[in-house]
Amino acid sequence: MGQQLFIFGAAFLGSTVESIEALTIVLAVGLTRGWREPLLGTGAALVLLAALVLAFGQLIVTTIPDSVLKLVVGTLLLLFGLRWLHVAVLRSAGVLAMHDEEHAYSHAVSQLGEATSRRDWVGFVLALKGVFLEGLEVVFIVIAVGGTGHGFPAAIVGGILAAIVVAATGLVVRRPLARVPENTLKYGVGVILTSLGTFWAAEGMGASWPLDFVSIIGLVVVYFAASRVAIALIRRPALA
Amino acid sequence: MNFLRAAVRRVVGLFVGDWLQSAIVLVIIAAGWFGVSRFGAPALVVLVALLAGQLVWFARADGRPGSSPR
Repeated sequence: MGQQLFIFGAAFLGSTVESIEALTIVLAVGLTRGWREPLLGTGAALVLLAALVLAFGQLIVTTIPDSVLKLVVGTLLLLFGLRWLHVAVLRSAGVLAMHDEEHAYSHAVSQLGEATSRRDWVGFVLALKGVFLEGLEVVFIVIAVGGTGHGFPAAIVGGILAAIVVAATGLVVRRPLARVPENTLKYGVGVILTSLGTFWAAEGMGASWPLDFVSIIGLVVVYFAASRVAIALIRRPALA
Repeated sequence: MNFLRAAVRRVVGLFVGDWLQSAIVLVIIAAGWFGVSRFGAPALVVLVALLAGQLVWFARADGRPGSSPR
């Protein structure tokens, strides 16, 4: 039960971050060029992403031996989590500017003109591309977290729920979700995914963790402490 | 074609920001595999310490004035 909750939480939080970025793109296109084609593009991207989850998810879970799956996906999850954590450390230390949805939105809008024809292929393709590319990370998180921990349903529900919550919020406020602490979320998810990756990669090597799944909490503490040390060592005045 | 290229770049970019850091992580994993098969659970402590250590090391390297973080 605890493991399923952990898998759900990791998938939900990771998917939330990416869904917010996808929402910014769809809002920028929709509010600038009209809604019909961007929504169709979003729908097409979601269908493609769902197909990827089902195809690859089933394939890797049913055909790859458990230990190999844990080692390979654990290693990929570790690389993925460390990448998020590395960026989060640099942002928290003021080395990189914080990700700003308002800025991303303004930038996207400045590159768009108004639709000039009845069928706006530009709006369709921009939304499709934006949602698909941001969604690739969601697909990886859901497959890696759910497939390796035998928690596919929990991971899929987490990913879908995150997309629904973000989309519903975006529908209500009709603005980029700039007030969601996206950088903090990414930091937290980076720590969790790095810990899960380490846990599963080591299990794939044949190791048995003391206290089994509970040792992930210990890993979270170690990686969080390491990230704080890194931030303390390189801290600069905050960038805008 | 552009779309496919962007998708491939995005997939690689999920795991690799700095090729050197990714290579070091893979070397640590390989060493961890060897260590775990030889020494069992105690090797996990070294594995986790090395992974946490490389996080601090590469953050410091990218945090140095004049460096261009990836």
